Amino acid sequence: MSKQLLRPPGAVPEAEFLGRCIRCGKCAQICPHQAIRVASLLDGLAIMGTPVIRARQAPCYLCMKCPPVCPSGALDKRVRKREQVRMGVARIDKKDCLNWQGTFCRSCYDHCPLFNEAIIMDSALRPVVNKKKCTGCGVCEHVCPADPAAISITPLGAV
Amino acid sequence: MKIAPFRRGVQLLSLAAMVAVPLLNRRGFSAVNGSFYSLTVGPVTFTDPLIAIQPLLAALKFDLSLLGSALIPAGIALVLGRVFCSWFCPQNTLSELGDAIATRLDLKRLATPPPKPLVRYAVLAFMLAAMVLTGFPLATLLSAPGIISAQTARLLYESSVGLELALIGLILLAELFVVRRVWCNHLCPVGTLLGLLRWKRTMRVVMAEDAVHTCIHCRECAKACQLGLNPMAGGLIIPQCHNCGACIDACEKMTAARKPLSFRF
Repeated sequence: MSKQLLRPPGAVPEAEFLGRCIRCGKCAQICPHQAIRVASLLDGLAIMGTPVIRARQAPCYLCMKCPPVCPSGALDKRVRKREQVRMGVARIDKKDCLNWQGTFCRSCYDHCPLFNEAIIMDSALRPVVNKKKCTGCGVCEHVCPADPAAISITPLGAV
Repeated sequence: MKIAPFRRGVQLLSLAAMVAVPLLNRRGFSAVNGSFYSLTVGPVTFTDPLIAIQPLLAALKFDLSLLGSALIPAGIALVLGRVFCSWFCPQNTLSELGDAIATRLDLKRLATPPPKPLVRYAVLAFMLAAMVLTGFPLATLLSAPGIISAQTARLLYESSVGLELALIGLILLAELFVVRRVWCNHLCPVGTLLGLLRWKRTMRVVMAEDAVHTCIHCRECAKACQLGLNPMAGGLIIPQCHNCGACIDACEKMTAARKPLSFRF
């Protein structure tokens, strides 16, 4: 199987997700940010048709519109608040992060939907991810000015 | 009054909805959302019964609300027969169009096996068994209406389509050159399951008891049937017949006081 994919908010664990998802496309239709894409054959035959988020291109803004429209329970309807979301965890690559290399940047810190909670600045003004709060939405990965992104999401199933 | 104009209207609305629903969702109107796999209209969700049982069979995942959302489509099938196929399914609309073109061009098809339910039951049973054994979402991959609607949405959003659509191309080619209406009439598992949802009062085309006096054996009804059925042979055409009403429209005695053919419950 190909590498782990980032699923929409409320997604149940990957193996269960693949069993439950009926590939109806409702979550992708409802997403106002076009962040939810439809996986292709390149992602795997059993994965084709399921919703994925490619955070570097378009992250999840935690609008929470998709869990209630899922008819199959692949996205858990009980996940209503953005704080409940656990799609994955952001990881900072200190070799590439501008702050850790001595240039001041606060892109990820400023744009994090859980401002000053999921990403905090340490005493030397370097971003640090609070794994207990991070939802895995990928906004930080999307806005990171480094190329490739110095902060990226490790999807839930791969944590 | 002819049935065809109403049916054509519903078919066109169904095609238009496949385009309109994704576009409206994109503009923030989301009261209608989904595809022919599963469609939500306001507070009500309709899920194709075959798709609704897929998580249970393929992954042993039980979801009461998913199964519940198949109740209305199942109820419609129990009362009205396979009207989803003939009035709403985009694959049937495409296949009807293809068949009309093939007939106009006088394309010779290789075979026209008589419609017998055995093949379609075997296809459904094989698919369900394969789903249980492999855990693979075969219902999703073999639901032609679901594929067409979901891929239309994807085309509108992402300007690309998936390989799932290859099945639709294969169906159309097979129907044009190999077997007339092969998918809808012999193979489609979605239609087979809807056809199984029937009882003695399910709506069907019936030949009147006094048809011996009214029927003139012009065979127009049998000629009108794209699925190769013969309404004059009696009430044995469920589950093959999907209640499109073409035979009733074609009947020469349609305007007579006592019609030989009619829908009955």
